Amino acid sequence: MIEKEKLQDYARKLMFEMNDEEYTTLQQEFAVILKQMDLIGQIPDIAKVEPMTFPFITYQQELREDIESDEGVLTVNEVLENVKHEVDNQVKVPKVVE
Amino acid sequence: MDYRHKTIMDLRSCLDEGKVTAEELFETAKDLAKQYQEQDNSFVSICDKFKMKQSQSLLSGIPYGLKDNISTSGILTTASSNILKDYIPVYDATVYQKLKQSGAVLVGKTTLDELAMGGTGTTAHTGIVKNPWDSARMIGGSSAGSAASVARGVVPFAIGTDTGDSIRKPASFGGVVGFKPTYGRVSRYGLFAFASSLDHVGCLTRNVLDAAIVTDVIKGYDPLDMTSLKDDGKEYHKMVNNSIKGRKLFYIKEACDLDNYQDQDDSELIETLKQFHEVLDKLRGIGFEIEGISFDKDLLNAIYPAYMTISCAEATSNNANLTGIQFGPRGEGNSIEEIMFDARSKGFSELIKRRFILGSYILQKENQERLFLNACRVRRLIVDKVNELFKKYDGLIMPASGGIAPLFGTKSDQLSDRYLLLENHLAIGNFGGFPSITVPAFFVDAMPVGINITGRIMEDDVVLMMAQAMENILKCKNMVAGDKIV
Repeated sequence: MIEKEKLQDYARKLMFEMNDEEYTTLQQEFAVILKQMDLIGQIPDIAKVEPMTFPFITYQQELREDIESDEGVLTVNEVLENVKHEVDNQVKVPKVVE
Repeated sequence: MDYRHKTIMDLRSCLDEGKVTAEELFETAKDLAKQYQEQDNSFVSICDKFKMKQSQSLLSGIPYGLKDNISTSGILTTASSNILKDYIPVYDATVYQKLKQSGAVLVGKTTLDELAMGGTGTTAHTGIVKNPWDSARMIGGSSAGSAASVARGVVPFAIGTDTGDSIRKPASFGGVVGFKPTYGRVSRYGLFAFASSLDHVGCLTRNVLDAAIVTDVIKGYDPLDMTSLKDDGKEYHKMVNNSIKGRKLFYIKEACDLDNYQDQDDSELIETLKQFHEVLDKLRGIGFEIEGISFDKDLLNAIYPAYMTISCAEATSNNANLTGIQFGPRGEGNSIEEIMFDARSKGFSELIKRRFILGSYILQKENQERLFLNACRVRRLIVDKVNELFKKYDGLIMPASGGIAPLFGTKSDQLSDRYLLLENHLAIGNFGGFPSITVPAFFVDAMPVGINITGRIMEDDVVLMMAQAMENILKCKNMVAGDKIV
Protein backbone atom coordinates (compact mmCIF):
# COMPACT_ATOMS: atom_id res chain seq x y z
CA MET A 1 0.00 0.00 0.00
CA ILE A 2 1.24 3.47 -0.82
CA GLU A 3 2.49 5.31 2.28
CA LYS A 4 0.40 8.09 3.72
CA GLU A 5 3.49 10.30 4.06
CA LYS A 6 4.06 10.12 0.33
CA LEU A 7 0.49 11.19 -0.36
CA GLN A 8 0.82 14.02 2.15
CA ASP A 9 3.90 15.21 0.31
CA TYR A 10 2.02 15.27 -3.00
CA ALA A 11 -0.84 17.20 -1.39
CA ARG A 12 1.62 19.73 0.01
CA LYS A 13 3.18 20.23 -3.40
CA LEU A 14 -0.27 20.66 -4.90
CA MET A 15 -1.00 23.25 -2.20
CA PHE A 16 -4.00 21.78 -0.40
CA GLU A 17 -4.61 19.75 2.70
CA MET A 18 -6.73 16.68 3.35
CA ASN A 19 -7.94 15.02 6.54
CA ASP A 20 -7.04 11.53 7.81
CA GLU A 21 -10.26 9.98 6.57
CA GLU A 22 -9.64 11.36 3.09
CA TYR A 23 -6.12 9.92 3.06
CA THR A 24 -7.50 6.51 4.00
CA THR A 25 -9.95 6.64 1.09
CA LEU A 26 -7.13 7.75 -1.17
CA GLN A 27 -4.91 4.86 -0.08
CA GLN A 28 -7.72 2.40 -0.84
CA GLU A 29 -8.30 4.05 -4.20
CA PHE A 30 -4.62 3.87 -5.03
CA ALA A 31 -4.64 0.13 -4.34
CA VAL A 32 -7.26 -0.38 -7.06
CA ILE A 33 -5.79 2.15 -9.49
CA LEU A 34 -2.30 0.70 -9.24
CA LYS A 35 -3.74 -2.76 -9.99
CA GLN A 36 -5.46 -1.28 -13.04
CA MET A 37 -2.25 0.40 -14.09
CA ASP A 38 -0.46 -2.93 -13.86
CA LEU A 39 -2.71 -4.00 -16.73
CA ILE A 40 -0.84 -1.52 -18.91
CA GLY A 41 2.50 -3.01 -17.97
CA GLN A 42 1.29 -6.47 -19.06
CA ILE A 43 1.13 -5.43 -22.71
CA PRO A 44 4.06 -7.04 -24.52
CA ASP A 45 6.77 -4.73 -25.85
CA ILE A 46 4.94 -1.66 -24.65
CA ALA A 47 8.19 0.21 -24.13
CA LYS A 48 8.96 0.07 -27.87
CA VAL A 49 5.84 2.07 -28.81
CA GLU A 50 6.06 5.79 -29.54
CA PRO A 51 3.90 7.63 -26.92
CA MET A 52 0.84 9.40 -28.32
CA THR A 53 0.08 12.78 -26.81
CA PHE A 54 -2.48 14.02 -29.28
CA PRO A 55 -5.46 12.39 -31.06
CA PHE A 56 -4.06 12.80 -34.56
CA ILE A 57 -1.56 14.85 -36.47
CA THR A 58 -3.17 17.54 -38.50
CA TYR A 59 -1.35 19.44 -41.15
CA GLN A 60 -4.18 21.87 -41.56
CA GLN A 61 -2.69 24.62 -39.43
CA GLU A 62 -0.95 27.25 -41.47
CA LEU A 63 1.45 29.92 -40.37
CA ARG A 64 -0.32 33.27 -40.35
CA GLU A 65 1.04 36.72 -40.84
CA ASP A 66 2.28 38.34 -37.63
CA ILE A 67 -0.49 40.91 -37.42
CA GLU A 68 -1.10 42.96 -34.29
CA SER A 69 -4.50 42.11 -32.85
CA ASP A 70 -6.34 42.75 -29.64
CA GLU A 71 -8.58 39.73 -30.14
CA GLY A 72 -8.66 37.74 -26.95
CA VAL A 73 -6.69 40.41 -25.06
CA LEU A 74 -8.20 41.61 -21.80
CA THR A 75 -8.07 45.17 -20.49
CA VAL A 76 -6.66 45.83 -17.02
CA ASN A 77 -10.18 46.44 -15.72
CA GLU A 78 -11.35 43.12 -17.12
CA VAL A 79 -8.41 41.29 -15.57
CA LEU A 80 -9.18 42.81 -12.19
CA GLU A 81 -12.92 42.21 -12.33
CA ASN A 82 -12.76 38.95 -10.34
CA VAL A 83 -9.88 39.95 -8.05
CA LYS A 84 -10.93 40.22 -4.41
CA HIS A 85 -8.15 42.59 -3.32
CA GLU A 86 -6.69 45.20 -5.65
CA VAL A 87 -4.81 48.46 -5.27
CA ASP A 88 -3.83 50.91 -8.02
CA ASN A 89 -4.76 48.54 -10.83
CA GLN A 90 -2.73 45.72 -9.31
CA VAL A 91 -3.58 42.50 -7.47
CA LYS A 92 -2.90 42.99 -3.78
CA VAL A 93 -1.19 40.15 -1.91
CA PRO A 94 0.79 39.97 1.34
CA LYS A 95 4.29 41.38 1.23
CA VAL A 96 6.61 39.02 -0.64
CA VAL A 97 9.97 40.70 0.07
CA GLU A 98 10.74 41.33 3.72
CA MET B 1 -48.44 23.65 -27.51
CA ASP B 2 -46.63 20.57 -26.18
CA TYR B 3 -43.28 22.35 -25.90
CA ARG B 4 -41.39 19.53 -24.17
CA HIS B 5 -41.68 17.03 -27.04
CA LYS B 6 -40.94 19.51 -29.82
CA THR B 7 -37.84 19.08 -31.94
CA ILE B 8 -35.75 22.03 -33.04
CA MET B 9 -37.42 21.90 -36.46
CA ASP B 10 -40.89 21.76 -34.84
CA LEU B 11 -40.06 24.84 -32.81
CA ARG B 12 -38.56 26.50 -35.90
CA SER B 13 -41.89 26.01 -37.75
CA CYS B 14 -43.89 27.32 -34.79
CA LEU B 15 -41.68 30.43 -34.67
CA ASP B 16 -41.73 30.99 -38.44
CA GLU B 17 -45.49 30.56 -38.61
CA GLY B 18 -45.99 33.03 -35.75
CA LYS B 19 -47.62 30.44 -33.48
CA VAL B 20 -45.21 31.36 -30.73
CA THR B 21 -42.55 33.99 -30.11
CA ALA B 22 -38.95 33.37 -29.09
CA GLU B 23 -39.65 35.19 -25.83
CA GLU B 24 -42.61 32.91 -25.08
CA LEU B 25 -40.40 29.87 -25.72
CA PHE B 26 -37.78 31.28 -23.37
CA GLU B 27 -40.38 31.92 -20.67
CA THR B 28 -41.73 28.37 -21.05
CA ALA B 29 -38.23 26.88 -20.83
CA LYS B 30 -37.32 29.11 -17.88
CA ASP B 31 -40.51 28.11 -16.00
CA LEU B 32 -39.80 24.43 -16.63
CA ALA B 33 -36.19 24.86 -15.52
CA LYS B 34 -37.38 26.39 -12.26
CA GLN B 35 -40.20 23.88 -11.84
CA TYR B 36 -37.84 20.89 -12.05
CA GLN B 37 -34.78 22.44 -10.42
CA GLU B 38 -35.50 21.06 -6.96
CA GLN B 39 -36.19 17.61 -8.38
CA ASP B 40 -33.35 17.31 -10.95
CA ASN B 41 -30.81 20.05 -10.06
CA SER B 42 -29.96 20.47 -13.74
CA PHE B 43 -28.88 24.10 -13.50
CA VAL B 44 -26.26 26.08 -11.62
CA SER B 45 -27.94 29.29 -12.78
CA ILE B 46 -31.13 30.01 -14.67
CA CYS B 47 -31.26 33.15 -16.83
CA ASP B 48 -33.87 35.70 -15.81
CA LYS B 49 -33.96 37.88 -18.85
CA PHE B 50 -34.72 37.05 -22.45
CA LYS B 51 -31.76 37.97 -24.66
CA MET B 52 -31.60 37.22 -28.34
CA LYS B 53 -29.80 38.37 -31.44
CA GLN B 54 -31.81 38.37 -34.67
CA SER B 55 -30.51 35.81 -37.15
CA GLN B 56 -31.59 33.60 -40.06
CA SER B 57 -30.12 30.48 -38.43
CA LEU B 58 -32.30 27.43 -37.74
CA LEU B 59 -31.44 27.96 -34.07
CA SER B 60 -32.77 31.52 -33.99
CA GLY B 61 -35.12 31.82 -31.02
CA ILE B 62 -34.50 28.23 -29.82
CA PRO B 63 -33.86 27.86 -26.05
CA TYR B 64 -30.84 25.89 -24.87
CA GLY B 65 -28.64 25.02 -21.91
CA LEU B 66 -24.88 25.50 -21.71
CA LYS B 67 -22.57 23.46 -19.49
CA ASP B 68 -21.19 25.59 -16.68
CA ASN B 69 -17.55 25.03 -17.59
CA ILE B 70 -17.97 27.16 -20.71
CA SER B 71 -17.10 30.82 -20.38
CA THR B 72 -19.99 33.31 -20.68
CA SER B 73 -19.12 36.97 -20.29
CA GLY B 74 -21.09 38.58 -17.47
CA ILE B 75 -22.77 35.30 -16.48
CA LEU B 76 -21.66 33.24 -13.49
CA THR B 77 -19.52 30.27 -14.63
CA THR B 78 -18.54 27.98 -11.78
CA ALA B 79 -17.51 24.65 -13.34
CA SER B 80 -19.61 23.38 -10.41
CA SER B 81 -16.69 23.98 -8.06
CA ASN B 82 -16.44 26.01 -4.88
CA ILE B 83 -13.17 27.43 -6.12
CA LEU B 84 -15.07 29.22 -8.89
CA LYS B 85 -18.37 29.67 -7.09
CA ASP B 86 -18.48 33.43 -7.68
CA TYR B 87 -16.47 33.66 -10.91
CA ILE B 88 -18.00 35.86 -13.59
CA PRO B 89 -16.00 35.60 -16.83
CA VAL B 90 -15.11 38.67 -18.85
CA TYR B 91 -14.99 36.88 -22.19
CA ASP B 92 -17.11 34.47 -24.20
CA ALA B 93 -16.15 30.99 -25.26
CA THR B 94 -16.27 30.59 -29.05
CA VAL B 95 -19.07 28.01 -28.84
CA TYR B 96 -21.18 30.48 -26.83
CA GLN B 97 -20.36 33.30 -29.27
CA LYS B 98 -21.48 31.15 -32.19
CA LEU B 99 -24.73 30.26 -30.45
CA LYS B 100 -25.35 33.92 -29.59
CA GLN B 101 -24.73 34.90 -33.22
CA SER B 102 -27.16 32.22 -34.35
CA GLY B 103 -29.92 33.73 -32.20
CA ALA B 104 -30.18 30.73 -29.88
CA VAL B 105 -31.50 31.76 -26.47
CA LEU B 106 -29.60 30.76 -23.34
CA VAL B 107 -31.90 29.46 -20.60
CA GLY B 108 -29.30 28.44 -18.05
CA LYS B 109 -25.87 27.13 -17.19
CA THR B 110 -26.03 23.40 -16.53
CA THR B 111 -24.59 21.47 -13.60
CA LEU B 112 -21.57 19.22 -14.07
CA ASP B 113 -19.31 17.00 -12.04
CA GLU B 114 -16.85 19.36 -10.41
CA LEU B 115 -14.40 20.70 -13.03
CA ALA B 116 -15.85 18.04 -15.40
CA MET B 117 -13.81 15.40 -13.59
CA GLY B 118 -16.30 12.64 -12.92
CA GLY B 119 -18.88 10.42 -14.48
CA THR B 120 -21.64 10.35 -11.92
CA GLY B 121 -23.21 13.81 -11.74
CA THR B 122 -22.84 13.66 -7.97
CA THR B 123 -19.92 15.99 -7.28
CA ALA B 124 -21.16 19.49 -8.16
CA HIS B 125 -20.80 22.14 -5.46
CA THR B 126 -24.55 22.68 -5.74
CA GLY B 127 -25.45 19.02 -5.13
CA ILE B 128 -26.25 15.88 -7.07
CA VAL B 129 -28.09 15.79 -10.40
CA LYS B 130 -30.88 13.23 -10.48
CA ASN B 131 -32.02 11.17 -13.44
CA PRO B 132 -35.40 12.47 -14.65
CA TRP B 133 -36.45 8.88 -15.52
CA ASP B 134 -35.90 7.75 -11.92
CA SER B 135 -34.79 10.13 -9.18
CA ALA B 136 -33.14 7.28 -7.26
CA ARG B 137 -30.64 6.95 -10.09
CA MET B 138 -27.72 8.95 -11.43
CA ILE B 139 -27.89 10.67 -14.79
CA GLY B 140 -24.13 10.20 -15.15
CA GLY B 141 -21.65 12.85 -15.98
CA SER B 142 -19.90 15.00 -16.31
CA SER B 143 -22.45 16.75 -18.58
CA ALA B 144 -25.11 15.81 -16.03
CA GLY B 145 -27.33 18.89 -16.11
CA SER B 146 -27.13 19.12 -19.90
CA ALA B 147 -28.38 15.53 -20.23
CA ALA B 148 -31.02 15.88 -17.51
CA SER B 149 -32.43 19.16 -18.86
CA VAL B 150 -32.81 17.69 -22.37
CA ALA B 151 -34.23 14.41 -21.02
CA ARG B 152 -36.73 16.38 -18.94
CA GLY B 153 -37.80 18.45 -21.95
CA VAL B 154 -36.73 21.77 -20.43
CA VAL B 155 -34.64 22.57 -23.52
CA PRO B 156 -34.46 20.87 -26.93
CA PHE B 157 -30.67 20.94 -26.82
CA ALA B 158 -27.80 21.57 -24.47
CA ILE B 159 -24.07 21.94 -24.96
CA GLY B 160 -21.82 19.48 -23.16
CA THR B 161 -18.16 18.58 -23.06
CA ASP B 162 -16.60 15.14 -23.31
CA THR B 163 -13.13 14.06 -22.14
CA GLY B 164 -13.76 10.32 -21.62
CA ASP B 165 -17.49 9.84 -22.25
CA SER B 166 -19.01 12.89 -20.54
CA ILE B 167 -21.57 13.60 -23.26
CA ARG B 168 -22.20 10.10 -24.54
CA LYS B 169 -22.61 8.21 -21.25
CA PRO B 170 -25.15 10.57 -19.63
CA ALA B 171 -26.96 10.58 -22.99
CA SER B 172 -27.35 6.82 -22.64
CA PHE B 173 -28.55 7.04 -19.03
CA GLY B 174 -30.98 9.86 -19.89
CA GLY B 175 -32.49 8.46 -23.10
CA VAL B 176 -31.19 11.30 -25.27
CA VAL B 177 -28.75 11.73 -28.14
CA GLY B 178 -25.19 12.80 -27.31
CA PHE B 179 -22.73 13.75 -30.06
CA LYS B 180 -19.03 14.45 -29.75
CA PRO B 181 -17.64 15.58 -33.12
CA THR B 182 -14.07 15.06 -34.35
CA TYR B 183 -11.41 16.60 -32.08
CA GLY B 184 -10.94 20.21 -33.15
CA ARG B 185 -14.21 20.39 -35.11
CA VAL B 186 -15.69 22.60 -32.37
CA SER B 187 -13.44 25.20 -30.77
CA ARG B 188 -12.34 24.66 -27.18
CA TYR B 189 -11.57 28.34 -26.66
CA GLY B 190 -13.27 29.39 -23.43
CA LEU B 191 -13.78 25.84 -22.19
CA PHE B 192 -12.18 25.34 -18.78
CA ALA B 193 -9.61 22.72 -19.69
CA PHE B 194 -9.74 19.32 -17.98
CA ALA B 195 -7.37 17.24 -20.17
CA SER B 196 -6.56 19.25 -23.27
CA SER B 197 -5.56 16.34 -25.49
CA LEU B 198 -8.89 14.61 -24.81
CA ASP B 199 -11.38 17.48 -24.34
CA HIS B 200 -14.19 17.91 -26.87
CA VAL B 201 -17.23 20.19 -27.07
CA GLY B 202 -20.48 18.68 -28.37
CA CYS B 203 -24.22 18.57 -27.84
CA LEU B 204 -27.12 16.67 -26.32
CA THR B 205 -30.46 16.59 -28.12
CA ARG B 206 -33.54 14.37 -28.40
CA ASN B 207 -32.94 13.25 -31.96
CA VAL B 208 -30.08 12.92 -34.44
CA LEU B 209 -31.24 15.64 -36.85
CA ASP B 210 -31.21 18.16 -33.99
CA ALA B 211 -27.65 17.11 -33.13
CA ALA B 212 -26.68 17.78 -36.75
CA ILE B 213 -28.40 21.18 -36.72
CA VAL B 214 -26.61 22.24 -33.53
CA THR B 215 -23.23 20.93 -34.75
CA ASP B 216 -23.61 22.90 -37.99
CA VAL B 217 -23.83 26.06 -35.90
CA ILE B 218 -21.06 25.40 -33.37
CA LYS B 219 -18.39 23.89 -35.66
CA GLY B 220 -15.79 25.81 -37.61
CA TYR B 221 -12.21 27.01 -37.55
CA ASP B 222 -11.22 29.26 -34.67
CA PRO B 223 -7.87 31.06 -34.67
CA LEU B 224 -8.15 31.30 -30.88
CA ASP B 225 -7.84 27.51 -30.54
CA MET B 226 -4.57 26.11 -31.86
CA THR B 227 -6.13 22.65 -32.23
CA SER B 228 -9.08 23.92 -34.24
CA LEU B 229 -9.76 22.22 -37.58
CA LYS B 230 -10.57 24.01 -40.81
CA ASP B 231 -14.29 23.82 -41.40
CA ASP B 232 -15.29 20.99 -43.73
CA GLY B 233 -17.90 23.23 -45.36
CA LYS B 234 -20.59 20.58 -44.95
CA GLU B 235 -24.12 21.10 -43.70
CA TYR B 236 -24.64 17.94 -41.69
CA HIS B 237 -28.35 18.46 -41.19
CA LYS B 238 -28.88 18.22 -44.94
CA MET B 239 -26.93 14.97 -45.12
CA VAL B 240 -28.35 12.86 -42.29
CA ASN B 241 -30.88 11.09 -44.49
CA ASN B 242 -28.34 9.96 -47.09
CA SER B 243 -28.30 6.23 -47.78
CA ILE B 244 -26.28 3.97 -45.52
CA LYS B 245 -26.61 0.92 -47.72
CA GLY B 246 -23.44 -1.14 -47.65
CA ARG B 247 -21.94 0.76 -44.72
CA LYS B 248 -19.88 -1.58 -42.56
CA LEU B 249 -19.81 -1.60 -38.78
CA PHE B 250 -17.92 -3.73 -36.29
CA TYR B 251 -18.41 -4.46 -32.62
CA ILE B 252 -15.86 -5.82 -30.16
CA LYS B 253 -16.63 -9.46 -29.43
CA GLU B 254 -14.71 -9.61 -26.14
CA ALA B 255 -16.94 -6.87 -24.74
CA CYS B 256 -20.28 -7.68 -26.39
CA ASP B 257 -20.61 -11.44 -26.80
CA LEU B 258 -22.95 -12.93 -24.22
CA ASP B 259 -20.80 -16.04 -23.94
CA ASN B 260 -18.15 -14.00 -22.16
CA TYR B 261 -20.48 -13.27 -19.25
CA GLN B 262 -22.33 -16.58 -18.80
CA ASP B 263 -20.76 -17.17 -15.38
CA GLN B 264 -21.85 -13.79 -14.08
CA ASP B 265 -25.03 -13.14 -12.16
CA ASP B 266 -25.76 -9.82 -13.84
CA SER B 267 -29.19 -9.90 -15.44
CA GLU B 268 -29.05 -6.22 -16.34
CA LEU B 269 -25.87 -6.74 -18.36
CA ILE B 270 -27.23 -9.86 -20.06
CA GLU B 271 -30.47 -8.11 -21.01
CA THR B 272 -28.53 -5.09 -22.33
CA LEU B 273 -26.36 -7.27 -24.54
CA LYS B 274 -29.33 -9.34 -25.75
CA GLN B 275 -31.17 -6.21 -26.84
CA PHE B 276 -27.98 -4.79 -28.36
CA HIS B 277 -27.68 -7.85 -30.62
CA GLU B 278 -31.37 -7.57 -31.53
CA VAL B 279 -30.71 -4.01 -32.70
CA LEU B 280 -27.72 -5.21 -34.73
CA ASP B 281 -30.01 -7.69 -36.50
CA LYS B 282 -32.45 -4.89 -37.30
CA LEU B 283 -29.60 -2.77 -38.64
CA ARG B 284 -28.49 -5.63 -40.88
CA GLY B 285 -32.05 -5.68 -42.15
CA ILE B 286 -31.81 -2.11 -43.43
CA GLY B 287 -28.52 -2.57 -45.24
CA PHE B 288 -25.71 -2.33 -42.69
CA GLU B 289 -23.03 -5.00 -42.78
CA ILE B 290 -22.05 -5.74 -39.18
CA GLU B 291 -19.37 -8.08 -37.90
CA GLY B 292 -17.92 -8.91 -34.52
CA ILE B 293 -14.15 -8.60 -34.39
CA SER B 294 -11.64 -9.73 -31.83
CA PHE B 295 -9.68 -7.05 -30.05
CA ASP B 296 -6.67 -7.76 -27.87
CA LYS B 297 -8.14 -8.08 -24.36
CA ASP B 298 -5.01 -6.73 -22.74
CA LEU B 299 -5.51 -3.55 -24.73
CA LEU B 300 -9.20 -3.36 -23.86
CA ASN B 301 -8.40 -3.78 -20.17
CA ALA B 302 -5.89 -0.95 -20.45
CA ILE B 303 -8.34 1.65 -21.82
CA TYR B 304 -9.61 2.83 -18.45
CA PRO B 305 -6.24 2.95 -16.64
CA ALA B 306 -4.69 4.73 -19.63
CA TYR B 307 -7.55 7.23 -19.63
CA MET B 308 -7.22 7.83 -15.87
CA THR B 309 -3.47 8.25 -16.16
CA ILE B 310 -3.50 10.72 -19.04
CA SER B 311 -6.51 12.71 -17.87
CA CYS B 312 -5.40 13.06 -14.23
CA ALA B 313 -1.90 14.08 -15.28
CA GLU B 314 -3.20 16.74 -17.67
CA ALA B 315 -5.81 17.94 -15.18
CA THR B 316 -3.28 18.41 -12.40
CA SER B 317 -1.35 20.74 -14.64
CA ASN B 318 -4.36 22.51 -16.21
CA ASN B 319 -5.89 23.41 -12.87
CA ALA B 320 -2.77 24.85 -11.30
CA ASN B 321 -4.14 28.31 -12.12
CA LEU B 322 -6.92 27.95 -9.54
CA THR B 323 -5.29 29.79 -6.65
CA GLY B 324 -7.94 32.18 -5.40
CA ILE B 325 -5.67 35.12 -6.18
CA GLN B 326 -6.68 36.30 -9.65
CA PHE B 327 -10.21 34.94 -9.28
CA GLY B 328 -12.22 32.71 -6.97
CA PRO B 329 -12.65 33.04 -3.21
CA ARG B 330 -9.51 34.52 -1.62
CA GLY B 331 -8.01 32.26 1.03
CA GLU B 332 -6.73 33.41 4.41
CA GLY B 333 -3.09 33.59 5.40
CA ASN B 334 -0.03 35.74 5.92
CA SER B 335 1.77 34.80 2.72
CA ILE B 336 0.85 34.05 -0.88
CA GLU B 337 1.55 30.38 -0.24
CA GLU B 338 -0.75 30.29 2.79
CA ILE B 339 -3.49 32.11 0.87
CA MET B 340 -3.28 29.68 -2.04
CA PHE B 341 -3.11 26.70 0.33
CA ASP B 342 -6.25 27.82 2.12
CA ALA B 343 -8.15 28.65 -1.09
CA ARG B 344 -7.32 25.31 -2.70
CA SER B 345 -7.99 23.31 0.48
CA LYS B 346 -11.45 24.84 0.83
CA GLY B 347 -12.18 25.18 -2.88
CA PHE B 348 -11.68 21.63 -4.14
CA SER B 349 -13.81 18.70 -3.08
CA GLU B 350 -12.23 15.49 -1.84
CA LEU B 351 -12.66 13.72 -5.19
CA ILE B 352 -10.85 16.46 -7.07
CA LYS B 353 -8.00 16.42 -4.57
CA ARG B 354 -7.69 12.66 -4.99
CA ARG B 355 -7.55 13.00 -8.78
CA PHE B 356 -4.90 15.73 -8.52
CA ILE B 357 -2.78 13.62 -6.20
CA LEU B 358 -3.04 10.74 -8.62
CA GLY B 359 -1.97 13.09 -11.42
CA SER B 360 0.94 14.33 -9.36
CA TYR B 361 1.99 10.75 -8.55
CA ILE B 362 1.90 9.86 -12.26
CA LEU B 363 4.01 12.87 -13.16
CA GLN B 364 6.72 12.23 -10.56
CA LYS B 365 10.01 11.71 -12.32
CA GLU B 366 10.30 8.11 -11.10
CA ASN B 367 6.78 7.23 -12.38
CA GLN B 368 6.67 9.05 -15.69
CA GLU B 369 8.10 6.24 -17.81
CA ARG B 370 6.16 3.42 -16.12
CA LEU B 371 2.83 5.24 -15.84
CA PHE B 372 2.42 8.37 -17.95
CA LEU B 373 4.44 7.38 -21.01
CA ASN B 374 3.14 3.80 -20.96
CA ALA B 375 -0.41 5.16 -20.90
CA CYS B 376 0.41 7.34 -23.92
CA ARG B 377 1.83 4.23 -25.62
CA VAL B 378 -1.37 2.29 -24.91
CA ARG B 379 -3.27 5.21 -26.39
CA ARG B 380 -1.30 4.85 -29.62
CA LEU B 381 -1.78 1.07 -29.79
CA ILE B 382 -5.53 1.42 -29.33
CA VAL B 383 -5.90 4.27 -31.83
CA ASP B 384 -3.71 2.51 -34.40
CA LYS B 385 -5.75 -0.66 -34.02
CA VAL B 386 -9.05 1.21 -34.45
CA ASN B 387 -7.72 3.15 -37.43
CA GLU B 388 -6.62 -0.14 -38.98
CA LEU B 389 -10.15 -1.48 -38.54
CA PHE B 390 -11.56 1.75 -39.98
CA LYS B 391 -9.84 0.89 -43.28
CA LYS B 392 -12.42 -1.87 -43.66
CA TYR B 393 -15.28 -0.60 -41.51
CA ASP B 394 -17.10 2.75 -41.44
CA GLY B 395 -17.66 2.64 -37.72
CA LEU B 396 -17.56 0.89 -34.36
CA ILE B 397 -20.93 0.08 -32.81
CA MET B 398 -21.21 -0.74 -29.10
CA PRO B 399 -23.66 -0.40 -26.22
CA ALA B 400 -22.82 2.96 -24.63
CA SER B 401 -22.70 1.20 -21.27
CA GLY B 402 -23.13 -2.24 -19.80
CA GLY B 403 -26.51 -1.35 -18.39
CA ILE B 404 -28.81 1.33 -17.07
CA ALA B 405 -28.09 4.38 -14.93
CA PRO B 406 -26.78 3.21 -11.54
CA LEU B 407 -28.66 3.80 -8.30
CA PHE B 408 -27.07 6.40 -6.04
CA GLY B 409 -24.71 4.77 -3.60
CA THR B 410 -23.87 1.74 -5.74
CA LYS B 411 -20.23 0.93 -6.29
CA SER B 412 -18.89 -0.92 -9.32
CA ASP B 413 -16.20 -3.55 -9.18
CA GLN B 414 -13.55 -1.52 -10.94
CA LEU B 415 -11.56 -4.58 -11.92
CA SER B 416 -14.46 -6.50 -13.49
CA ASP B 417 -14.81 -7.15 -17.21
CA ARG B 418 -18.06 -5.20 -17.28
CA TYR B 419 -16.35 -2.15 -15.79
CA LEU B 420 -13.14 -2.32 -17.80
CA LEU B 421 -14.68 -3.35 -21.12
CA LEU B 422 -18.23 -2.06 -21.29
CA GLU B 423 -18.29 0.94 -18.98
CA ASN B 424 -15.20 2.67 -20.27
CA HIS B 425 -14.70 1.88 -23.96
CA LEU B 426 -16.09 5.26 -25.03
CA ALA B 427 -12.71 6.81 -24.16
CA ILE B 428 -11.48 5.30 -27.46
CA GLY B 429 -13.30 8.21 -29.12
CA ASN B 430 -11.27 10.69 -27.07
CA PHE B 431 -7.95 8.91 -27.51
CA GLY B 432 -8.26 9.13 -31.30
CA GLY B 433 -10.45 12.23 -31.57
CA PHE B 434 -13.04 10.16 -33.45
CA PRO B 435 -16.58 11.52 -33.99
CA SER B 436 -18.87 9.52 -31.73
CA ILE B 437 -22.59 9.54 -31.04
CA THR B 438 -24.91 7.82 -28.56
CA VAL B 439 -28.51 7.25 -29.62
CA PRO B 440 -31.23 5.99 -27.24
CA ALA B 441 -31.99 2.44 -28.34
CA PHE B 442 -34.01 0.35 -25.88
CA PHE B 443 -35.12 -0.06 -22.28
CA VAL B 444 -33.98 -2.37 -19.51
CA ASP B 445 -35.99 -2.33 -16.27
CA ALA B 446 -37.89 0.73 -17.57
CA MET B 447 -34.68 2.71 -17.95
CA PRO B 448 -33.15 3.82 -21.26
CA VAL B 449 -29.93 2.46 -22.75
CA GLY B 450 -28.08 4.00 -25.67
CA ILE B 451 -26.07 2.53 -28.51
CA ASN B 452 -22.91 4.31 -29.57
CA ILE B 453 -21.45 4.64 -33.06
CA THR B 454 -17.89 5.91 -33.48
CA GLY B 455 -16.44 6.69 -36.90
CA ARG B 456 -13.34 7.88 -38.73
CA ILE B 457 -11.92 11.31 -37.94
CA MET B 458 -13.35 14.07 -40.14
CA GLU B 459 -16.32 11.87 -41.07
CA ASP B 460 -18.78 13.50 -38.69
CA ASP B 461 -21.36 13.49 -41.49
CA VAL B 462 -21.10 9.71 -41.96
CA VAL B 463 -21.45 9.08 -38.22
CA LEU B 464 -24.56 11.27 -38.08
CA MET B 465 -25.95 9.53 -41.16
CA MET B 466 -25.48 6.07 -39.64
CA ALA B 467 -26.98 7.26 -36.35
CA GLN B 468 -29.99 8.68 -38.17
CA ALA B 469 -30.56 5.35 -39.92
CA MET B 470 -30.41 3.58 -36.56
CA GLU B 471 -32.76 6.08 -34.94
CA ASN B 472 -35.27 5.55 -37.76
CA ILE B 473 -35.73 1.87 -36.92
CA LEU B 474 -35.83 2.27 -33.14
CA LYS B 475 -38.70 3.63 -31.08
CA CYS B 476 -36.78 6.01 -28.88
CA LYS B 477 -36.80 9.25 -30.87
CA ASN B 478 -37.77 12.51 -29.14
CA MET B 479 -38.35 10.88 -25.79
CA VAL B 480 -38.98 12.93 -22.68
CA ALA B 481 -38.56 11.39 -19.24
CA GLY B 482 -41.81 9.85 -18.10
CA ASP B 483 -43.04 8.98 -21.60
CA LYS B 484 -44.82 5.67 -21.90
CA ILE B 485 -42.30 3.07 -23.00
CA VAL B 486 -43.22 1.31 -26.23
